[in-house]
Amino acid sequence: MYRTVVNRILFSGGGRRLLHRHRDLRTVICSSRFSTTTETQTVPNRRPLNPPDPSTSSSSSSSTSFQTSSAAGDVPRHERQNPRAEYEEEQARVLQASLRHVIRLGWSEEAMIEGAKEVGISPSIVGSFPRKEAALVEFFMDDCLQRLIDRIDSAEELQNSTPSQRINKLVRIRLEMQAPYISKWPQALSIQAHPLNVSTSFKQRAMLVDEIWHAAGDETSDLDWYVRRTVLGGIYSTTEIYMLTDSSPEFRDTWLFLDNWVEDAFDLKKTIQEAKYLAEAVGAGMGSFVGKVLQR
Amino acid sequence: MALRLLTRNLRNRISPNLCSASLLHSHATSFGFKEVREEEKSQMVGKVFSNVASNYDLMNDFMSAGLHRLWKDRLVSKLSPFPGMKHLDVAGGTGDVAFRILESINSIRRRALQDPINDDLQEETRIYVCDINQNMLNVGKNRALERGLGEDKSLVWVQGDAEALSFEDNSMDGYTIAFGIRNVTHIEKVLTEAYRVLKRGGRFLSLELSHVEIPVFKELYDLYSFSVIPRLGEVVAGDRESYQYLVESIRRFPPQEKFASMIADAGFQKVEYENLVGGVVAIHSGLKI
Repeated sequence: MYRTVVNRILFSGGGRRLLHRHRDLRTVICSSRFSTTTETQTVPNRRPLNPPDPSTSSSSSSSTSFQTSSAAGDVPRHERQNPRAEYEEEQARVLQASLRHVIRLGWSEEAMIEGAKEVGISPSIVGSFPRKEAALVEFFMDDCLQRLIDRIDSAEELQNSTPSQRINKLVRIRLEMQAPYISKWPQALSIQAHPLNVSTSFKQRAMLVDEIWHAAGDETSDLDWYVRRTVLGGIYSTTEIYMLTDSSPEFRDTWLFLDNWVEDAFDLKKTIQEAKYLAEAVGAGMGSFVGKVLQR
Repeated sequence: MALRLLTRNLRNRISPNLCSASLLHSHATSFGFKEVREEEKSQMVGKVFSNVASNYDLMNDFMSAGLHRLWKDRLVSKLSPFPGMKHLDVAGGTGDVAFRILESINSIRRRALQDPINDDLQEETRIYVCDINQNMLNVGKNRALERGLGEDKSLVWVQGDAEALSFEDNSMDGYTIAFGIRNVTHIEKVLTEAYRVLKRGGRFLSLELSHVEIPVFKELYDLYSFSVIPRLGEVVAGDRESYQYLVESIRRFPPQEKFASMIADAGFQKVEYENLVGGVVAIHSGLKI
């Protein structure tokens, strides 16, 4: 019976376990020496097979059991595979619960502590998030992105509109997800702007903008790609900030603002052409100037 | 000197009386660079700490040039204490870590941001300081009095063995052991006990002198350890032997990676470590889920 269980695990989960082992063996090596260096290594999670027996060296027995594939005593490995990602799931649950407290307590450790208590886990887990409040904000951003993708997949009304209308709608949908937290959103923005967190928040926004353009049906892959995303990033950010001080009912003013922006920026072809002409003119002017200087 | 004589006497007295059966059950462990039997180790460690208790903090300051304070600050900030926390500081005799945790929880800044509801929570905070050596605990209690924390019911001083804690399962939010795990006889037992008493979501943190691998720095550090520290112990505390034990026990302790895997073996997840001062000190952390 044990052997069939082991076979099932080996064949279904074997590939995954190999992956895990590779990931486990990777260590992050830092360059600074006399200041704090952080080397994180995710060690394979192993539950001891039985309470450590003082007369044997338990460390060697647990390491060999990880290597061997003998049937006897391998059943606990089935359980061992599941606990591997458990802490990440628990962390996600805590963060999800914490979001409900953000409105009252802000994007802070207190909200996360309340979230942990709600889920029934010791609030000590908050200390295990590398950048605490930033983890909460980033989780929210990822969550919103996922919801946006789900909306895109399921939405029919996007099919029959022009790209600019689609962009308009998508940005609006995304910003509306932030509406409940708007009173504490400035705090979230400042957390995202913190030097430690900037790279992650930039990446998240880049992914968001990419997703919106993709949904709007953009297939270009030349230099326009960067220009479009930068432009949309700008539109998104400015609208987001506008929303912070908007007190109109249901953020009507923000949507008007967004409409105007999108229309203007959307003459991208024209904008790019104009930019090109400008560059050429400047180049020509510079060239003739340099030429004259050299001739002398 | 006295310590070496003592161990020699013990060995001479006990070995002729041992029959082969008991030899099979008695296992050797390390006491610094000496091999001693397990039963003896805790006794000998006990003697070391009874000797050093009164000068412990002073010697720490000398040996680490005051850096040990920063290391402990770092440990506590990694812990992220919160009001209402039940925390266990093992081998924390003189109370350094416990005081820092308490101060972090009670700090004015934190209080200013809290809801009034949390004041009740603050009352529930309990920091248990557990140490096997009563002398160290006494020193700690005196220091608490000096700091005005004598009446604070958040601090509870408990004498106990890290390998067999008297606390219930799933009762602690946090567990720290600062510069203590090197001295235990069975590291695995301590880790298992730590896992047992922690709640779900609780964190294990250990601050310990560890291995330096950086080429030139390693030689300097070895020189400092073996030449300067025992001499310092002789001059300041009048006890060269104990400090010789100290530096030897550091070398015998498993390196960072090995210790991390031992922590994982005990059942902890998200096991990480952070080297401070190039590996002179390492903070290992694990999460119980």
